[in-house]
This record gives sequence, structure tokens and C-alpha cells, in this order.
Amino acid sequence: MFTKLDNLMTEEKSRPPLMMPLALSQGVTDAPETNPENPNKIEINDFTLYYGKFKALGNLSMTIPKNKITAIIGPSGCGKSTLLRSLNRMNDLVPGVHTEGKIFLDDSDIYVPGVDVVDVRRRVGMVFQRPNPFPKSIYDNVTYGPRLYGIRRKYELDEMVENALRQAALWDEVRDKLHQSAMALSGGQQQRLCIARALAVEPEVILMDEPASALDPVATLKIEELMQTLKETYTIIIVTHNMQQAARVSDFTAFMMIDNPQNRTGKLVEYGPTVQIFTNPKLQQTEDYVTGRFG
Amino acid sequence: MIESIPVTTTINRRQFHSKAGYQRRKMTNVVMLSITGFLTILALVPLFWIVGYVIHKGGQYINLDFFTHMPRPLGMAGGGVLHAIEGTLILTILAILFAVPPGVLAAFYVAYKPNTPLGIAVRFGTDVLAGVPSIVIGLFGYALIVKNQGHYSALAGGIALAILMLPTIIRTTEEMIKLVPQTLREGSLALGAPEWKTALSVTLPAASNGIITGILLGIARASGETAPLLFTALGNESFEIGKIVQGGLAGHQSIFTILGKILEQPVDSLPLTLWKYAQQPFPERINQAWASALVLMILVLSINILARIWVQVRTNRMQGK
Repeated sequence: MFTKLDNLMTEEKSRPPLMMPLALSQGVTDAPETNPENPNKIEINDFTLYYGKFKALGNLSMTIPKNKITAIIGPSGCGKSTLLRSLNRMNDLVPGVHTEGKIFLDDSDIYVPGVDVVDVRRRVGMVFQRPNPFPKSIYDNVTYGPRLYGIRRKYELDEMVENALRQAALWDEVRDKLHQSAMALSGGQQQRLCIARALAVEPEVILMDEPASALDPVATLKIEELMQTLKETYTIIIVTHNMQQAARVSDFTAFMMIDNPQNRTGKLVEYGPTVQIFTNPKLQQTEDYVTGRFG
Repeated sequence: MIESIPVTTTINRRQFHSKAGYQRRKMTNVVMLSITGFLTILALVPLFWIVGYVIHKGGQYINLDFFTHMPRPLGMAGGGVLHAIEGTLILTILAILFAVPPGVLAAFYVAYKPNTPLGIAVRFGTDVLAGVPSIVIGLFGYALIVKNQGHYSALAGGIALAILMLPTIIRTTEEMIKLVPQTLREGSLALGAPEWKTALSVTLPAASNGIITGILLGIARASGETAPLLFTALGNESFEIGKIVQGGLAGHQSIFTILGKILEQPVDSLPLTLWKYAQQPFPERINQAWASALVLMILVLSINILARIWVQVRTNRMQGK
């Protein structure tokens, strides 16, 4: 493995990263087979991301299947969240970011110039680590997205609110207090409200950045159950520090790690069906990580 | 290492458990507490003295006439400071109109883009402006507006006060915007909202309490200022909105003409009146100066109290209490 990495380093100096041979940088991926019944929703193709001069993600390639839950695991600072945020171009907000390579959502690259970032973010929703409801009423939180896209009629909005809240398994708890402040809800309810808020714009993919790390076990369980129902309609990608959670909820797991301590570039180590990653990983590094020997 | 521990414990034990040591520490505590208490009272004396003295001197001259009547000729008792109250109102409204929009927007710019050349310039300029003596701002208003227009006016006074308010508004707003959690902003952007929409419908409401407090503090400061008005609004004992409006309506003038007439006149304000009356050799005027001081004090105090109450109510509502 180390000789591989050394090669990688010298190669990087001599020519631009884009030219690197794919196979070297990818690690082992046992990616889901493409088939017509279960096509890939997202295809990441040789993707590299820089924060200024710092290469945060190096030549990453993977495919994410539709209507499945894909977990991204790995030690802190390995670029999991950066990768997740690349999928709806949230990294655009960080000054000095630039990217190379492609990320296909269905068949279109979301990184070609002229792409409507607003549309990408509508199709790829996001739920954050800490519940972040707006300091508005529950109703206004859910309708925030639809209103952005020009939906104004009250009956339409009402219907969307009920739909989204039902999908997020929150409707029964809040149906009588839709116009009360969202800040008065419990942490778990707030997080489900944030999920409802993301669902209200009818996305295709939902990105979850450690959605349960700030919640108690009961609220966590609710979120995990919710994910199982949501995956019938949506493609879910979850970043988690909690390996049990990844093992419990996901269909596929991607294990990421930094390249080496000097350059701290995040790369994909191993990717495959969750069962395989957790019970019979192909690489020693993956086995060490999932069995808790480091990280 | 291990042997040394019992030694230190013995020393400590002797110090901490001896009766004399305890008494001494207790005494030190009492002495220090008394000193802080005494100095606190000392600091509060001028405050209550001023408030008490102004109430004592001015309270008896405050009556309904004081608020509803124009000044009477020199040397005659009675009359009020309606002109100054109206003037203060107009000047303050003008100052808000001129200072709040650019102030809040500049604060957004500085908070979002602190390290751009313009951001650094605005922050530096704000700091400098906050330290400029208010009389200099008055002179600036004179040179900029009064000199060009050829006459003193409420407009010039309002602009001078707006310049005075700007640094307070920019700094407090900026701090409040920075306090809004980044995740809230991201939540909006992740739904596809553009940056301006996020600023307007998420950041601004979330920071509104603090922003409003900042604005009210700016108002409280500006409405008590005399120096910038000396060169700009000048003062006008015959300024009466009612009369201007009546005259305008009688002449079938449009609302804009009437507004223009109000703005182009020199106006008085409470601090200005206080300053002028206090210099006059008529006891009636001196008394009215005290009364004006009291009204001004109450005005500023109630702005502050209102701001606090309002912010509290809104915070509670936002948190769903």
C-alpha cells in the first residue's frame, strides 16, 4: 500500500492530478452493478477538491445506487463531509474552493459551467449534524423551500406541509401546533422537521451529515427508522461516525481515509455492500477501522 | 514525589484549619466586599443625583401645556416646547431613514465579506467615524448641505444625526449577524435559496432583535445630541408642523410640497432648546430648560426600556414560550 502511495505522490508532482491513472487512486471498490432496475443515481468520476492549495479530496470515484442508503465512514478529517457537500455543491460557499473531475446526477454533470446550482440543491437535499430549524413557525419552516420556488397558494402549501411532515413521521406530533415556533420542539423533533423541510421541495437525493450525532438514542432510532421508509422514494447518503449506525441502516458503505499525514488528502479506501465491508473487507485498513483498531 | 505529599499537606492543613487563618480570610472577604460595595454606590451617586436633581428642578414645570403649546414671547410665563418636540421627532425620523438602510446593509457586507478591501475599509471607517467628535460631524453637515442649499434645514440636521448613528448601527448589526449560527445559513442555502434571499429571510429575522436594539441605541444617542444640530438644524422657535400642514392644505398643495416645506425649515430639538434656554436671562426660560432636560431624559430612558421589553417579548415568542 505504501509503495502505491509513494508512486502517487511522485506522480502528482510531475503531472496534473487529472492525468493520474484511475485505478491507482481508487482503492478497492466493489461498487453496485449497474442494472436497469436499479440504476445509479450519482456517479462520482475522478473527483478532486482543493481548499485553496490544500487538496482535500483526491481523485475519488464511486457510484451511488438509486433508492439505497449509502454510508460514508472514516476517521475525523478524512473528507467525508467534504465529499457529501460536494454532491449538492455546498462547498461552493467556502472561499478558495476549486474542483476537478465530474459528479453526475442521473446523466448530467453538476460541475460543468452553467449548471443551475439552485436546481442541484433542490434535487439534492441536505440534513445537517445539528438540527437547524429557522426561528420561524413549524409551518413556515416547511414552506420555506416551496415558497422559494414560487408556490404561493395556501391550499397547495398546506398540502405540502402535511405531506412532508407525514413523510418525516412528525405530523401526528405537531399537527395541532403548526404555527408555533419550531424552536420549541425537542432536538429529535427539530431534526425530523429539518428532514421534512428538505422533503418539501421534492428532492431526489437526501444527504445526511451525521444526522443523529446530536440526538439521544430514542430520537436516533426514530431517524434511522425514518431513513428506511424514505429510501423507497429517495436516494440517501449518510455520513456517520457511528459504525454501528452505518452497519444498521446502510446498504452500501464507503470507507474513506486520509492519504498520508503530510498531505491529509481524503481518499476512498474501500467501497462495497455494507455486509461485506463490515464482515469481510478486502483491505486490512478497512478491517482495522471497522473492528475499532484505530480511528 | 510520594514522600513530598505529606509534607505539603501538613503545611496546608495548618493554614486551612487554624482558627486564626479562617478569621483572617473571613475578614479579608468582608473588607473587599465593603470596598466594592462602596465604590459601586459611589459610581451610582452621580446617576441618581442627576436624575433626582433634574426631576426636582424641572418636574414642577411639566404640564400639558408644556407638550402642546408653542413658546410664548420672552419674559412671559407659560407656553411649551411643542416646536422642539416636533423637531426632535422629525430629526429622529430623518436620521432613521438615512442611517438604517445603509447601516444595516453595510453591516451585512462587512459580516459576510470581512477580508475584502471594501470590507476592511468600511470597518476601519466605522471605527474612525465612531470617534469623530459630534461637533465635527455638525460642521461636515454644514459644509455639505447648509452651505450648498444656502439655508439651515431639518434635512441637514437629520443627515448629521444619521452620520452620527451610522457607526453604532453598523457595529451592533455586524456583531448580531455574526452571532447567527452558520448552520442556519447553510440550511437555507441547501434548500437552493440564493445568498440574498437567505440574508433577507433567515439571517435578518434571526438577528433582528439585536439589530433593533442597535438601532434604538443609535436613536437614543442621536436624539440627545446638540452639537451637530448647531450647524445644521440651527433651531426655530416658530416651527409648527400643524401650521405648515394647515397652510398647505388651504393652498391645495400636494403632500410632497408640504413635506418639502417641513424639511427645508430650520427646526429645534429638545437638547437644542435646553442649550439655548439655559443661557437666557429669563427665569421662565431657565425653568423650561430644566423641564426640557427632564422630558429628554424620560424620552431616552423610555426608548431604552421599550427596546429591552420588545426584544424580550420577541425572543420569547421565537423560542415558543
